[in-house]
Amino acid sequence: MPAWFWLVPVASIVALGAAYGFFRQMMKESEGTETMARIAAHVRAGAIAYLKQQYKVVGIVLVSLTLVFCVLAYVFHMQNPWVPFAFLTGGLFSGLAGFIGMRTATYASARTANAARQSLNHGLRVAFRSGAVMGLTVVGLGLLDIAIWFLVLTRYYGTDDAQQVVVITTTMLTFGMGAAVQSLFARVGGGIFTKAADVGADLVGKIEAGIPEDDPRNPATIADNVGDNVGDVAGMGADLYESYVGVILASAALGAAAYLTSGAEIQLKAVIAPMVIGALGSLLSVIGVFLVSTKEGATPKQLLASLGRGVNGSAVMIAVTSLLVLAMMGMPNLWGLWLALIVGLLTGITIGRAAEYFTSQGYKPTMRIAGAAKTGPATVIIGGIGEGMMSVAIPVLAVVSGTGLAYFFGSGYSFGTDTMSLGLYGIGMAAVGMLSTLGITLATDAYGPIADNAGGNAEMSGLPPEVRERTDALDSLGNTTAATGKGFAIGSAALTGIALLASYIEEVKIGISHVLDRGVDYVFPDGSSIASTAVEQLEGLSLMEMMTRYEVVLINPKVIIGMFSGAMLAFLFSGITMKAVGRAAGLMVDEVRRQFRDIPGIMSGDAEPDYARCVSISTKAAQHEMMFPSILAISAPVVIGLIFGVPGVLGLLAGAGAAGFSLSMFMANTGGAWDNAKKYIEEGHHGGKGSKAHEAAVIGDTVGDPFKDTSGPGLNILVKLMSMEAIVVAGFTVAVSLV
Amino acid sequence: MTTYLYLSLIPEALIASMLPPDDFGLYYAIGSAKRSHGQAIFFSVDRSKLGDADLPLEDADARCVAHADGSPKRSLYLSIYRALERVPREALTALHLATDDGRVLTVEPQEFIEDGEDRTHLYQELCPVTPRIVSALNPAEFAEFLTGAQSNVHVPRIVFAELTLGNLKNDPDHQDVDNLPYPNIGHLRDCLRELAAAPDKATKTVLRQMTQEVLFRTIRNGVFVGDPTGITSFPLPSQDALEREHRAWWRSAQSTFGQ
Repeated sequence: MPAWFWLVPVASIVALGAAYGFFRQMMKESEGTETMARIAAHVRAGAIAYLKQQYKVVGIVLVSLTLVFCVLAYVFHMQNPWVPFAFLTGGLFSGLAGFIGMRTATYASARTANAARQSLNHGLRVAFRSGAVMGLTVVGLGLLDIAIWFLVLTRYYGTDDAQQVVVITTTMLTFGMGAAVQSLFARVGGGIFTKAADVGADLVGKIEAGIPEDDPRNPATIADNVGDNVGDVAGMGADLYESYVGVILASAALGAAAYLTSGAEIQLKAVIAPMVIGALGSLLSVIGVFLVSTKEGATPKQLLASLGRGVNGSAVMIAVTSLLVLAMMGMPNLWGLWLALIVGLLTGITIGRAAEYFTSQGYKPTMRIAGAAKTGPATVIIGGIGEGMMSVAIPVLAVVSGTGLAYFFGSGYSFGTDTMSLGLYGIGMAAVGMLSTLGITLATDAYGPIADNAGGNAEMSGLPPEVRERTDALDSLGNTTAATGKGFAIGSAALTGIALLASYIEEVKIGISHVLDRGVDYVFPDGSSIASTAVEQLEGLSLMEMMTRYEVVLINPKVIIGMFSGAMLAFLFSGITMKAVGRAAGLMVDEVRRQFRDIPGIMSGDAEPDYARCVSISTKAAQHEMMFPSILAISAPVVIGLIFGVPGVLGLLAGAGAAGFSLSMFMANTGGAWDNAKKYIEEGHHGGKGSKAHEAAVIGDTVGDPFKDTSGPGLNILVKLMSMEAIVVAGFTVAVSLV
Repeated sequence: MTTYLYLSLIPEALIASMLPPDDFGLYYAIGSAKRSHGQAIFFSVDRSKLGDADLPLEDADARCVAHADGSPKRSLYLSIYRALERVPREALTALHLATDDGRVLTVEPQEFIEDGEDRTHLYQELCPVTPRIVSALNPAEFAEFLTGAQSNVHVPRIVFAELTLGNLKNDPDHQDVDNLPYPNIGHLRDCLRELAAAPDKATKTVLRQMTQEVLFRTIRNGVFVGDPTGITSFPLPSQDALEREHRAWWRSAQSTFGQ
């Protein structure tokens, strides 16, 4: 095993150790007054109740799918025997990452509010370092999972045979599907939960009862705060855990394939390089966390700059040190791979900045939407949709430019198809570059809901105005970082999707080898075949040759059917999840109305609402409503693969990827812009609070809620899950496709 | 139990209740079963200062009694028409502003002190009529103008609030009016220009009647009660005091959509 590999488990332990240290540090802080602690306890209990229920459902799904994979692997021999276990651990680790992050966040909110009573800097430090627990846990667990599986599989298969290394990496890739299933439930379920609570709280509490945001008299207000944690912390954590390990493993698989004939040593280096870069990034993320601090009375710009110091500092450090490490590892095409990595970093930053530009009230697009509010809700909706659609251009151009450049650099400065494997490895390295400092970028993301909850806690506890001003400043900063974080999540999903397309072909080859192992000749759709005795012929097939044999060309109806189905699925999934939010919010509305009616003394503050009941309603609704979209996402690649085979699945992934990425970016940015357009008006523009423009902007914000927090982020996972699943069931698709 | 007398402005009514002001404001804003909501503006009335006012006070004594289960009588309407004119200004001991969700701010009366600096004012009349007016008159002059018998158009007593004009106060064409939540700002500018162009003109109607609730955050200087004998001022606390000492009310007041 190359010595550099050991950096992976070491970095994993350091990241997890730092996360534990930050957690302990946070726990030493006081929760403040009795009221503050009581409110935090309500939120914590609600979040745990939700997660319990969610893990119960996901547990059933994970175990059921594991059994299916066991049958495919051990009864029909269509799959690698390690797949069921890799799948299961991916799901468990992903869930664990989300659970730890959420647990931390729910402990941190009251402590952040209390720290803000002392100073802004203290509040920022508690909130950010609590967010870092999430970021470092995700990368720590991801690297641990990767390291353990790599050690186990290399011990079992050995690394002398180049083809075995390909098998190892593609097998490891399957634990990404477990993580993807977990993240689908966490993101979609969490998204439905949080928006049902949010919309329900707003519609009855604010509009009907006229009570303000975060008012303890609103029965749904605790559920709303719980939702911030389950959606934006646990959901985001599970989502990015899946992206992180997916990107590293897809790149490792691409490296194994790209350097198949370069000798075992070079091939192994190519396999572990993405892992080492991830490890290096996580170590630098820990350093970056310590760079974040601010002075008392800091402006929003200074607060943003202090977070930027941590994130950008880590990015600069990874840019420099990755070159040194790749050089010391003796990587072939050193400068090309390093440039690909830098391209990935820059692509991530571009997407994040574009998201910030299109969603922040400091820039023209959001101001224009706010201006449109002067003429009513219809123009807010039209303006928001228009700006949101336009916001897709820069991220898509960034991803395609990044993809093209990374391919060019990775392939040794060529766009030729003869070096396609190397080019695809370059794309994988770009994706690794984008997510290399996930430890700290995710910290800034998880910081958002912590600061938001701290603001809610300060408000409900009636803390003095100067404290609320500080928590408001922290919260406002969190809104910007959340938009940037979503941009990163979506951008990385796009690059991961492209990398996984190539990995899929490698998995198909392994699927064919299982067919050949059974003594059966394999016949490709173009009529060519490989005899069961000629496995080496299969190993020598390039990606382009595989494409030719499977007739993956645009005019092949199987590809077109797959593409259109994929694009349609992105819209269908969005529609189903949006309607799910509407239905779940309806249940919440009924419950809040019932409590106002049946519990005397809520409005006078003499009686406490039944918060737990609202949490329970949102939980049940989320679990119920996410079943159909989950089944849709899980079944689509199987059904398309069963009917149209490999060309159909590739079309499906391409269509879903292209449409899903664009639609996801559109929904996330549109929702974010509507939210901030409302905030811009509330700051005292176009009539300010209570004006007709404000009323119109509130409608836009409510429409945008499921856009930005349910359907938009959910689409990432749809795309990634379908790619991962296609890889996992590739053996099945190869063996039994009907057409 | 004490029986309280309240003079409500929206709608105009004299009400007897066994609820103290905060509870009455909550009840009046959201009802007994939380099926409705709406802001309320009402005065506490000192019965001892009503003199020989033509009001059915004996009805209050007879019918404003606790229910059989011991719960207090929440409201007994004593008069719903021309109630304000029958309650002497001196009897109005406190003004209560209840938000949509029933938070109540109580404001004590003060002697009106003329602020000579302001030359342009925006007034929202609250009772018994509800037009919105721009005026060159200060609150005392405005009250006198509306209640003086020398004019054909006058009322016996008037309650009105002065609303903020922001930058329009000195310049009707000022572009920075972003935090003024009034509908049709262009028309308001026209009215201010017309007022400025005609030195003899004392008032100009902006809106014939109130179509929205009063956004409490727009009230500047306070609420005034005027009649031919003088004016009483009910000044709101400063924004800083509202933020610090009446936070719950202030948040609710800002959340109100004004519908």
